[in-house]
Amino acid sequence: MAQTAQDDQALRERFERDVLPLLPSLYGAALRMTRNPADAEDLVQETYLRAYRGFAGFQEGTNLKAWLYRILTNSFINTYRKKQREPQTVEGPDDADEWYLFDRLGGQRVEGSAEDEVLDRIPDEAVKKALESLPENFRIPVLLADVEGFSYKEIAEIMDTPIGTVMSRLHRGRKALERALWQTAEERGLVDG
Amino acid sequence: MAKCGPECEETLREIERFLDHEVDEVIRARVERHLSGCGDCTDKATFRVHLKALIQAKCAEHEVPDGLRDRLRTLLAAVDTGLDQG
Repeated sequence: MAQTAQDDQALRERFERDVLPLLPSLYGAALRMTRNPADAEDLVQETYLRAYRGFAGFQEGTNLKAWLYRILTNSFINTYRKKQREPQTVEGPDDADEWYLFDRLGGQRVEGSAEDEVLDRIPDEAVKKALESLPENFRIPVLLADVEGFSYKEIAEIMDTPIGTVMSRLHRGRKALERALWQTAEERGLVDG
Repeated sequence: MAKCGPECEETLREIERFLDHEVDEVIRARVERHLSGCGDCTDKATFRVHLKALIQAKCAEHEVPDGLRDRLRTLLAAVDTGLDQG
């Protein structure tokens, strides 16, 4: 790479200006992926290193956040998939369970309390744990869609997966998350089991 | 469930993609039209909207560990000077 010191300086400044501010959301995603702060920090460092090395090849004006999440997801899969052996399936989607959580919370008839209020009372940590309980293939699409707000197309690019696979994993992942949330609510006595 | 008509079934089949803003204009208009006249489907759609908002609010991280920003800057500076190359 025949870059001048000036180019380096400009690139460095652009990186600090555009990429460093994404750190909180990237760290949060890393935490949901690895499920522990030490690994999350390592993953974020690796992601920033790779991103910085590849930043000269990033086209300004294209989707920076998706580009960065692609590096994050690849780094996670390459480094941690081996480390965190886990089953990559969730219980098959049951058509009758399409409205699993809605139906159950609706049956609660808590005085003056809508379904949503039961959910609101589940502590943040428990919701995070519920998400983290999903196998990685389902956790990542749910994380990217519902927490980070990426589109199906962006998720397909980030995960290097066909869009149809993204949609089915997202669907099944959300179902599994509803089951995990219901279980959490039950365990905490927020609903009558 | 039993009182659900074909229109409800069709709407609920599209609802996930609809709420993800992933349907075309025609489907979007059809779902919206149905929702405006169907309380049951609207309740379900509203529930999903809240659920999604709740997951986002509760799973997003706002704090970064002390010193991580500085450690990253140090790491990047090492790349610049070639110190990271083993």
